[in-house]
Amino acid sequence: MPPDRSDLLQGTLELLVLKALSLAPMHGWGIGHRIGQLSGDVFQVNQGSLYPALMRMLRRGWIRAEWRISENRRRARYYSLTPDGRRRLARETESWERVSAAVNGVLRTRIAGGTA
Amino acid sequence: MSLISDLTERLRALLFRSRMEQELEEEVRAHLEFEVAELRRAGVEPAEAQRRALVVFGGVDRWKEEVRDARGLQPVEDLVLDLRHAVRSLRRNPGFTAAVILVLGIGIGAATAAFSAVRTILLSQLPYPHADRLVRIYEKNSPLNLWGLSTVDVQAIRELQRSFDAFGAVHRTEVALSGTGAPERILVGRASAGFFTALSVVPLAGRLIEPGDEAADVPPVVVVSHALAERVLGGAGHAVGRSITLDGVSHTVIGVLPAATTDLAGVTAEAWPALRLTTATRRGPFWLRGIGRLREGVTLDAATRDLAGISERIFPLWASGFRDQKARLTPIPLRATIIGDTGRGLALFAGAVGLVLLIAIANVATLMLVRTSARGPELAVRAALGASRERLTRLLLTESLVLTLLAGVAGLTVGWLGLRLIGRLAPGLPRLAEVGLDTRATAFAVLAAVVSGVLVSLSPISALLAHGGPGHPGTGGARAGTSRQSNRVRAMLVMIEFALALPLLLGTGLLLNSFLRLRRVNPGFDPAGVSTLAIALPEARYPDDPALQRFWRQAELRAGELPGAAAAGLTSAMPPDDPGDINNFDLLDRPVPEGESEPVSPWSAVTPGYFLALGIPLLDGRLFQAGDSGAAPPVVVVSRAWAARYYPDERAIGRQMFAGGCRTCPPSTVIGVVEDVKYLGLAGSTEAVYEPVSQTNTRWLNLVVRSAASEDELSRGLRNAVAALDPELPLSVVSMPDRLRASLASPGRWTAVLAGFAAAALALAALGIYGLMSYVVRQRRREIGVRIALGAEPASVTRMVIARGMRHALVGTVLGLGLALFGARWLRALLYEVGPWDPLTLLGVGALLLVTAFFSCWLPGRRAARVRLSEALASE
Repeated sequence: MPPDRSDLLQGTLELLVLKALSLAPMHGWGIGHRIGQLSGDVFQVNQGSLYPALMRMLRRGWIRAEWRISENRRRARYYSLTPDGRRRLARETESWERVSAAVNGVLRTRIAGGTA
Repeated sequence: MSLISDLTERLRALLFRSRMEQELEEEVRAHLEFEVAELRRAGVEPAEAQRRALVVFGGVDRWKEEVRDARGLQPVEDLVLDLRHAVRSLRRNPGFTAAVILVLGIGIGAATAAFSAVRTILLSQLPYPHADRLVRIYEKNSPLNLWGLSTVDVQAIRELQRSFDAFGAVHRTEVALSGTGAPERILVGRASAGFFTALSVVPLAGRLIEPGDEAADVPPVVVVSHALAERVLGGAGHAVGRSITLDGVSHTVIGVLPAATTDLAGVTAEAWPALRLTTATRRGPFWLRGIGRLREGVTLDAATRDLAGISERIFPLWASGFRDQKARLTPIPLRATIIGDTGRGLALFAGAVGLVLLIAIANVATLMLVRTSARGPELAVRAALGASRERLTRLLLTESLVLTLLAGVAGLTVGWLGLRLIGRLAPGLPRLAEVGLDTRATAFAVLAAVVSGVLVSLSPISALLAHGGPGHPGTGGARAGTSRQSNRVRAMLVMIEFALALPLLLGTGLLLNSFLRLRRVNPGFDPAGVSTLAIALPEARYPDDPALQRFWRQAELRAGELPGAAAAGLTSAMPPDDPGDINNFDLLDRPVPEGESEPVSPWSAVTPGYFLALGIPLLDGRLFQAGDSGAAPPVVVVSRAWAARYYPDERAIGRQMFAGGCRTCPPSTVIGVVEDVKYLGLAGSTEAVYEPVSQTNTRWLNLVVRSAASEDELSRGLRNAVAALDPELPLSVVSMPDRLRASLASPGRWTAVLAGFAAAALALAALGIYGLMSYVVRQRRREIGVRIALGAEPASVTRMVIARGMRHALVGTVLGLGLALFGARWLRALLYEVGPWDPLTLLGVGALLLVTAFFSCWLPGRRAARVRLSEALASE
């Protein structure tokens, strides 16, 4: 089966969600908001992808959900990392760094070759 | 870990669907409110903030749908869809659906019934605590020669054994029950206290036999069955303390057994009086069953050694009368002794059922395959619309499973009926009362349904996959490939059906053959006009030999004076199944070497009238006479087979023997030889020794009368005559023709059952090959039409179709022969004068199968000959 483009994006989104949740438990809107903040508004998380991703991660046991009262006194569904999720984050981060370093290396070589 | 959370989330999604919908709704609302709050913090107007939040959010419904998908409900929803589709498609083909449910339902039902019976009767433990430690103890001198225990044996085991924590003995007999309405004969088991202890019996009321009850000088006591208490004692609650009269002796009822206990250790009885052993004067007779419960941790081998040691210790003490030094007391697991030979018939039944089920599955598989190829276009459309191969496979599998599970439900009904049928067919089957459709039987039916569902869907699925998916809708081009593949599978299935049908037919043929031979067996006498009446004289009223002899003389005399009576006599043995007694003997002129076992023979006490009443001719010497009384030297008459065996080329008259191992008794002299009569079943041997009633003090005899009067008239006359002598005797008259019929009933019934299964198998195989060839003809209409149009003889077309079908049938039959030759050995014990590889039966069965196949192929073949090209083209 050829790798799906959405798989790649999905994986990235999940990594970002894990990272966002590693700081503190957070509701869905807050996760999107925080990813926006952390990325300096580079990533605008699409809600249509975020909630399905949260559901998948729930099923995989990386995160858990519970209803709590938010800072503006509204009942909201808070997500937090499970130990599994924490391990996943560490692994994903490491592999992301390896991949991005490799990609960066490739890109740099190309530029060098171009100027020569 | 992640698998569990995955499953729980999915399960939650499935079970709490509406709650999760609400949660999703609320989560969306919360999200929008956070967004609005954020926008307002940035200074946007409330209404504008609301609008912008919704815009940013995008289509709420679309992402809700995506969340639902992510919950992982898709497979479940697919399953619901598949199920709905399956039910719809089955309803569209009611004929097909009904045929499959019927064929498989009967197969699964029969298999379920057989499973229940086999599991309960053959495989499961006996219903006693510590059942695995229970043994029956026999005297045994060779692997095939076992017999019961004597008083000496039981007393010796009691004193000397170290292997059992409980040991007891029981004597099964029939007694007259009187004092509670009309006298009747009931089965009793005279049992010792240890018998109940070994089986851990718990009484419903009162107590059981205790060691103190076994003494000769205490009032007699009896434990009764629940049924007897209900019938004659006014209910189980009122029985204890009352008394019943058994053979003229009053017994106090001390306990009642639970209603479910109809037999103990294989002994069926309605009353259990205390067993009272008197001091033995010789080693025999061997009249008791010994039951022991092994001490915890004691193996069967250890017990065998222990008992063998006891045999060696007691042998010298009684060696004067019992010289079989090789005989050893031997423990055998109780379960094995109870199941005995009945297992073979049952195993045969189960095997037949299994074969029919397999044939039914093969048949349904071909039906499914035809239907799948007929649905080629439908499946192709589905594939074109985006259904994956896995999805189509699942669809076919779901359909098959729905179908076979329905058949499984039908099968449970059939199975219930089947169990009642088994009860009717073999009422003597041990432990029949315990057999029922329990949860395991239900689970078996469901499992059989699921397995057959998978099996029947294999062929259409493999056809589907082998072709790489269905062809294009509407084009005929892709069909040929699928067809060739599925035809190969179908041909194989048909071969399997033939291969499986053959052993069934062969078994039926062999049993039928042997049954017919059995019916032609000459029982040795003319049964017409003969009726019999069993009489047992209780010791209380007939204490000594003169009293007994007086009664027997009177009874024979009165029976002979009945209107129409031609002859009357008395006998302790009753053809064809009751040898009366079996005794050992030692011929004076050819004594058995020291330490070896003596020959045995059926041994009966008769009056001369018996030979006349049954029409048994005297061949040599003389019959008993008035002078052969108690004081005179003992005499015997032997059967022709006995004389031929021990004196093949000499005259048997005048030979002498010690009977029953008694060397101090005067030897018996052979005075006559009579024609053979069957006493050990119609298939049994005909050796027999007769002694005169006047020289024995027997309490048990059958009055036998041959009369010209009608059966009813004779029966009434006999009863009245005996009642006039003693009104307290229970009386039941059985006609000789009925006895013979009863003896044939059991083999007849098993043959009929197997014949039924074989007929079903033959019909299914015929249907299978008929279906295959019809389908082939339909598929190749065009080609056949072209051939005929080009001048081919219609007859040659028919021949071609038949030849093709017969090839499959022949291969199947040959395979089946191999299977049957391998399996027929199992039948040997059930056959009479027919070998398991009887060539004539083999030939006949093979021919029957092939002729059936021929006609099944001939019908589609004839249809093929009528194909016209124009019609073939028009129907495309």
